[in-house]
Amino acid sequence: MNRRKVRKLKEHFFLWLMRCFLAGAGVVLGLILGVIVWRGAGALSWEMVSQPPQGGFYLGQGGGILNAITGSLYLALGATLLAALVAVPVVLYMHVYGGNGRFPHILRLSLDIMWGIPSIVYGAFGFSLMLLLGLRASLLAGVITLALVVLPILARTFDEVVRLAPPHLRETTLALGTTRLEFLAVLLRQTVPGLVTAVLLAFGRGIGDAAAVLFTAGYTDNMPESLLRPAASLPLAVFYQLSTPFPEVQARAYASALILTLLVLAVSLLAHLSSTRLGRNVIR
Amino acid sequence: MQPLSIRKLNVWYGRQQALKDISVDIPRRQITAVIGPSGCGKSTLLKSLNRLLDLNEQVRVTGQVLLDGRNIYDPGVDVTEVRTRIGLLAQKPFPLPLSIFDNVAYGPRIHGLANGRLEQLVTEQLTAVGLWDEVKDRLKAPAAGLSGGQQQRLCLARTLAVAPEILLCDESTASLDPLSARGIEDLLRALKENYTLVMVTHDIDQARRLADHVIFMWLGELVEHGPAGTFFAQPREELTQAYLARRIG
Repeated sequence: MNRRKVRKLKEHFFLWLMRCFLAGAGVVLGLILGVIVWRGAGALSWEMVSQPPQGGFYLGQGGGILNAITGSLYLALGATLLAALVAVPVVLYMHVYGGNGRFPHILRLSLDIMWGIPSIVYGAFGFSLMLLLGLRASLLAGVITLALVVLPILARTFDEVVRLAPPHLRETTLALGTTRLEFLAVLLRQTVPGLVTAVLLAFGRGIGDAAAVLFTAGYTDNMPESLLRPAASLPLAVFYQLSTPFPEVQARAYASALILTLLVLAVSLLAHLSSTRLGRNVIR
Repeated sequence: MQPLSIRKLNVWYGRQQALKDISVDIPRRQITAVIGPSGCGKSTLLKSLNRLLDLNEQVRVTGQVLLDGRNIYDPGVDVTEVRTRIGLLAQKPFPLPLSIFDNVAYGPRIHGLANGRLEQLVTEQLTAVGLWDEVKDRLKAPAAGLSGGQQQRLCLARTLAVAPEILLCDESTASLDPLSARGIEDLLRALKENYTLVMVTHDIDQARRLADHVIFMWLGELVEHGPAGTFFAQPREELTQAYLARRIG
């Protein structure tokens, strides 16, 4: 076989190999979605999303999981907001004022380590902190603990986006006689679509996490009413319903999983739309 | 007094010396071209004039750059004021991530120059760079959507909107097509009525076309400088003669 044929064969072989893996990934995603739709769609009802559980809910009686939907939204939104309030200034400070020395290096390393810590560890940390402060399981404790889980995700994702900003942006902006703070504002405008992606990743991770909120936010069949009272969450709702022996309650667990997935999908779409709009002036 | 005087300027990047003992005056309302081969220090010289070198942490500067008699490297100097008075047109057109209008309005806004007539100011600057008719119907559109030549004219308008006294041009036509490059050249020629210009170019012909005054650099040293007429007609130094005859470079 001559060289040209071998190269062509190689190209074909790896092209098909990549297509196979792509199909594999697609099939897995399809299977997951298929299973929760197939097993949960039947149990999905207006009652399910519009009411909190009623007496005997876990035995197959009436009610819904509005407590968990609301609780999860409060937890994930609160945690993402809190994490963003810390991460965005930290990342912008690092890029605009931090220089190229050891500080950014150490900060990135710390965030990467934080990213790798399992969320149950954050849960345990939050729990011991609560005990120390004499607090009980509450929405606030859940938000704070979950914020710790999503902080490194948000910060490092945003950091990578800012790193990819064109290097000329700094020179161009500062050459107009701007202060570094004014440059920071320009940098934020350039990186806003990436920031939206980072926030979305953090939100998706936060709303799906069970371990961090297990001890800290607790669980309740009541609607979340106060920052200082326990709050339910969808992952735990799935867990509690799936651990009952009753098929109709288990079906509702799948329906809850479907709702969780749809929530993440809706937020993704919203974020995508807003990032397209916010990013129309971005220099590529 | 000349608006800009360079006195015994030395610049190091780490241990490597990029500029060696440069002393020269920049004449008012003329185009001064800095020429020389790649790596001779002409861009470094240009960026030392508005302290953009500060952005590089490895840089060390000694000597003086006197702006109206005051050394811009003195500790008490406000670097944002220096950069407001000495504008830069970079090599590659680089709009800010804003709309066409906001790109020009950006400088006047942060420096508080508009005094309630921002739209008029933007119109004036866009007209001055010959861009108004091309963009007047899409001022809110992203600046990134303009062509390369249009973007460079927008960048010029953005720089002029800050009302600088001196304009630095760093090979500002190098990345443009010939037609757009000629357009920018014509603009620069017209601008010297009101501004002092310092332009870096590796294009000897461009320096011949535009310059009133020429500085020739070689390996970080200033070899020769003088009025363009005598510089091109009767270069004193052998190195200059060889460079202009394109025997070296």
